[in-house]
Amino acid sequence: MANLKEIRTRISSVNSTMQITSAMKMVSAAKLKRAQDRIIQMRPYANKLSEVLQNLSGTMAEMENKFVDKREVKKVLLIPVTSNRGLCGGFNANVIKQTNRLMNNTFIDAEVTVFPVGKKVFDSFKKSENLYSGDLLSDPSMSGEVFNDLSFENSSDICEGVMKAFWDGHYDKVILVYNQFKNAATQLIQSEQLLPVEAPEAEGSGSIDYIFQPGKEELLESLIPSALKTQFYKALLDSNASEHGARMTAMHKATDNAGELLDELKLTYNKARQAAITTEILEIVGGAEALAG
Amino acid sequence: MNIEILTPDEDIFKGEVDIATFPGKDGSFGVMNNHAPMIAALKAGDIVVKDTNGEQTFAVKGGVVEVLKNKVIVLAE
Repeated sequence: MANLKEIRTRISSVNSTMQITSAMKMVSAAKLKRAQDRIIQMRPYANKLSEVLQNLSGTMAEMENKFVDKREVKKVLLIPVTSNRGLCGGFNANVIKQTNRLMNNTFIDAEVTVFPVGKKVFDSFKKSENLYSGDLLSDPSMSGEVFNDLSFENSSDICEGVMKAFWDGHYDKVILVYNQFKNAATQLIQSEQLLPVEAPEAEGSGSIDYIFQPGKEELLESLIPSALKTQFYKALLDSNASEHGARMTAMHKATDNAGELLDELKLTYNKARQAAITTEILEIVGGAEALAG
Repeated sequence: MNIEILTPDEDIFKGEVDIATFPGKDGSFGVMNNHAPMIAALKAGDIVVKDTNGEQTFAVKGGVVEVLKNKVIVLAE
């Protein structure tokens, strides 16, 4: 049986780990609340924008625009979105796995470039030859910075670079891979096509007779970029909220496990202590008897 | 009429106004009560909303306006 001191040390180390994990859980819960609020804040804007786009979808199908036109897919840009920090369960690993799957199955015939957003996915693709390099987009190793100050403006900066690269024909398809926020415990891995833009399904066949100013096509030309930026920003917000949700769940489990471990250790400790006392008594009794005899 | 100015980060303004002026792509235009349904693109400039108490100005980089049944929704950037 392990000696008493050893067990005591383990108990105190498990105890302090438990304190850390439960503190991290609290922090994540608070951050999750904020991240969720931002998604909710964003929703009316995104919904309205897609409504307006639906009104124009008929025009979109006909018009010629580099953002809309489908080209033969030879060069694909994958944008996996992860967090900058670990300790959040399978959150980052799932995105990386999905990215690899896309790279090795779906787009095996195409030339795939990976532009990572977030430190974790950058670390994972750091040595891969598919990692984006060049000066079209911002530096991939810095892209995680966006999460330090997540605002529409910062996210647009990245998105604009991607849009420009697509417009200039460097890529034929752009796919976002991210964790969609469902609830605090569930994240859905999404692979979403950012570019080319797919015309949304028209609902209710545009019953309202709008005046379009300027014309429909010009309107679309200015709307598509903002729709893209919104879509990109939404993915980042979703990923951010999912990260905190995932971390909260992971830390909750870790705290529970630490508690279980602590109970077990305490039991072993008490048993060891009892055994030590019993041996001591036996020794004393034995000694006394030897003297009396 | 009721006007809402939304950005991806926050709602900037919400309320009843008498007239709103927008920096349209084809030139500045105003919207008053009972305007016909319209969707218009904006360029960088100021949105001015006037009600009985005075007027307020919001600077935008661009965006789109939807006018429908005395409800104006501005998606600004």
